[in-house]
Amino acid sequence: MRAMKLNERSVAHYALSDSPADHAGFLRTWGGAGTPPTPSGTGRRCWFVLKGNLLFSFESREGRAPLSLVVLEGCTVELAEAPVPEEFAFAIRFDAPGVRPHLLAADGPAAQEAWVKALSRASFGYMRLVVRELESQLRDARHSLNLHRHSSWKAITSRCKPQASDHWSAGLENGHSLSRDCSPTALVEEGGSRPAGRGLAEWELQGPASLLLGRGQSPVSPETSCFSTLHDWYGQEIMELRRVWLQSTQGSQPECEERDRP
Amino acid sequence: MRYNEKELQALSRQPAEMAAELGMRGPKKGSVVKRRLVKLVVNFLFYFRTDEAEPVGALLLEHCRVAQEEPSGFSISFLEDPERKYHFECCSEEQCQEWMAALRRASYEFMRRSLIFYRNEIQKMTGKDPLEQFGISEEARFQLSGLKA
Repeated sequence: MRAMKLNERSVAHYALSDSPADHAGFLRTWGGAGTPPTPSGTGRRCWFVLKGNLLFSFESREGRAPLSLVVLEGCTVELAEAPVPEEFAFAIRFDAPGVRPHLLAADGPAAQEAWVKALSRASFGYMRLVVRELESQLRDARHSLNLHRHSSWKAITSRCKPQASDHWSAGLENGHSLSRDCSPTALVEEGGSRPAGRGLAEWELQGPASLLLGRGQSPVSPETSCFSTLHDWYGQEIMELRRVWLQSTQGSQPECEERDRP
Repeated sequence: MRYNEKELQALSRQPAEMAAELGMRGPKKGSVVKRRLVKLVVNFLFYFRTDEAEPVGALLLEHCRVAQEEPSGFSISFLEDPERKYHFECCSEEQCQEWMAALRRASYEFMRRSLIFYRNEIQKMTGKDPLEQFGISEEARFQLSGLKA
């Protein structure tokens, strides 16, 4: 039986990289080649790291190469009847027939609970569900915001680029948040911090802003590090916010005025 | 590194985001193009001999780079060795673009960033944290600080 290939070097590199671990800690394990099919003894204590839907184990916290990988798809995680006398055990059981469950044990009840929770939510499908839900919530939020604006500021929106609200919300490649203080100084600081993200942009790849761009929602790419372009682009948000405020304080129809650039 | 082949084989049988017969060439110098059934399932790209049920191999798609090659092909390479490329040949430019887009979205890391981005946007617009309904707002994996500066 030919062994299946896997890009192991890349997998190990990913395991050791500084991308955020979703959970980590010591667990006792009974899995692995050469171990008996039924768990016995106290198990082997390893350092486990959960990244996304991948559970890695290392000999120690300083381990330079993962010992094992468990892919957390098509599985359920449940508290286990410990092999005597092990406490705080839990099992990863796979839906697919013929795939042996993994038995693991934590050091205490809190750790056990935290691990079961983290592993239960580790699947790609779960993450995708949450992302899609948020995507639709964002669409709804934008839609109602657009409706509100459109009815109030017809004169302004006719002068702004279409889907103006998408401009200022689309562009946060690395999730930097625009500060609540929308003064020009705050913008300068935000703008200045953006280029730092660019070094990794190539490998960080198509972040959500790019996805939105791909749908043609902004003629200005948030990936441009040209500050004046970014400044203009964020500047639109300021102008619109200023008009809302003006309208609400003056209680009058907004006039079609020349947009003055900050 | 130990991993359970049966696990991955079972995964390869799950519903795929994308599946097609493509030309595939490994990263080794002098490797030739072979027809493979290529299947994208979650963050793994499986490839099969066209007449076999079990995959020849799998590529984990985290920290990978997808680049266009020639008119209708693309390559996948990884962060630790960008010159080591897996090449794929599509039957059309359209198919190539479709695959590239799907592969770029296929990583868990991409989804994590999307989630953090959307969460942040929704918080800005509505003042509410959309993750609270899921009971996961405190989890480290979803924090803004999890993104690289």
